[in-house]
Amino acid sequence: MVRFKNRWILVEFIPCVSSPPGNISSTAAGLGASDVETNSKQIWSSLKQSIITHFGDTGWGAVGASLTGAFAEFVKYYSPRTNVCIIRVARDQHNIAWAGVTLLSSIEGRRYIPNVVHVSGTIKQAQIAAIRHNRTVVARYRALAKIPVGYQDSYEQFLEISAQEIEALQD
Amino acid sequence: MFFDLSVPVPPISSRPGPSQGPSKKGKEKQQANAASVVYTPAQISAIENRLDLLVHLGYTVFAFNQSVQRKVDPKNHVNVLDPLLAQLRKREGVALLKRLTIVLDEESEKGFGLTNQNTALFASYDLLALLPTTLGTFSQACLTHTQPSPLTTHIIALPLTLPRLPFHLKHTLVRTALKNGAVFEIAYAGALGSESDVSGGSGEGSASARRNWWAAAREVVRVTKGKGILVSGGVVNDADLRAPRDVANLITVLGLAQNIAHDASTKVPQSLILRAQTRRTYRAVLSEPKVVIPGAVVPESASQPPTLPPPTIDANILSDPTMSTPPATISQPQQSDASEVGGKKRTRDESQGAGAPLNKAAADDEKDGSGRKRKKKKLKEGNF
Repeated sequence: MVRFKNRWILVEFIPCVSSPPGNISSTAAGLGASDVETNSKQIWSSLKQSIITHFGDTGWGAVGASLTGAFAEFVKYYSPRTNVCIIRVARDQHNIAWAGVTLLSSIEGRRYIPNVVHVSGTIKQAQIAAIRHNRTVVARYRALAKIPVGYQDSYEQFLEISAQEIEALQD
Repeated sequence: MFFDLSVPVPPISSRPGPSQGPSKKGKEKQQANAASVVYTPAQISAIENRLDLLVHLGYTVFAFNQSVQRKVDPKNHVNVLDPLLAQLRKREGVALLKRLTIVLDEESEKGFGLTNQNTALFASYDLLALLPTTLGTFSQACLTHTQPSPLTTHIIALPLTLPRLPFHLKHTLVRTALKNGAVFEIAYAGALGSESDVSGGSGEGSASARRNWWAAAREVVRVTKGKGILVSGGVVNDADLRAPRDVANLITVLGLAQNIAHDASTKVPQSLILRAQTRRTYRAVLSEPKVVIPGAVVPESASQPPTLPPPTIDANILSDPTMSTPPATISQPQQSDASEVGGKKRTRDESQGAGAPLNKAAADDEKDGSGRKRKKKKLKEGNF
């Protein structure tokens, strides 16, 4: 059986104010506090630009096998609130694509730190990882804000909605 | 457990002139004493933020890097890292180390202060590194300064962003250095085109710096065949930090196998730090030889000399935990001593394991960092 094998990369973009003296850089970016609207199209075009810059046309040709084909590299999911996105790449070229993500430094002029959280072979695992990552981030915020356990806040709703969105992804 | 062994310390402004960068030969430096190294609150918060970001990305051990140009002047040299460490917030689960990098150029071929007389200066640093920029200094660094002694520089960093790596990496030199236990450092900041903190004066545009980085890094990988490669940050801007697995993947593109690339930010720095502690011992012997007098043959064996293995073998024992037959007389004291020396490491471990904050626990589960920590503890206890 010749199957097309893919890798699903879960990337979190951490927005970062690049070190002005005296300013606390927004490492703990609030959920939903991003003022810049980035969407999956922008991510895709920045990624494409990054791969072309670093790996040339051959690199892009290898990774984005065909722009309209079903097995091309494509941004499957993007949540503007948590800056998390899932990208699908063919398995043989996933190293190049992953390196392209790592070397990516800005989207639409704003600087980000790409942080690859999880790489998996099936979308199911990527979904599980994404949900778990959301929960971790929310837990971190709650711990920071010292919210007592069991307190219903807006994060709960966000978690549910995002979990549903993630689950709804189809291959 | 991921290591970033090169967190450059931003220049401090209270002293007349930045702490990293210009040579220490300036007259102005003579006014500054060790006590006057003061960090402004802005710098402290910047460093704290950098550490926060690094911890968020998954690193747990850092080495602050102070770099010196050309030579270490014993009169003027000040360890800027000690006061810095005293002022940083206490973080559990994170280990901070101090490192000194000496940038060598042609003038340093005559000598740059890494002599026995200056040993006291270097005792306060956990790691020493050299950054040679000429063939002469490179061969000096590889051959003489990796010998086990209180002055061993365990890290040889190469300026990866200069146009045309200025010297050819000779295979024999590299092999000798590796055999003595040194590692070659690749700073991933160059791949992103940003200015790494000391790169021997390259002020060029980022695109050409990137290209040189790829060329030079590939060359380093080729010559060392992946053996003693250490990957570290060297990033000056916060925006160029990357998660450790990302960096490992980047190195994979250079031609390294995936497991070696991953080791480059885990196992290699780990054994390096342990080995660097041998600077405090005599010629890298970490164990205390004990005279064992077998009960039956008392008079004869009173003259049994303590077996003192040559330093290279001992260094190998350290870095190779699966050593098959350690000498029997050594194994006992080795356990007690290694637990002392490794005790430093172990307390870091324990604080890491036990004190991991709640909000990190979930994140730790996801990455197998915690599994690796446990494995490492078991390894240490089992084999020493």
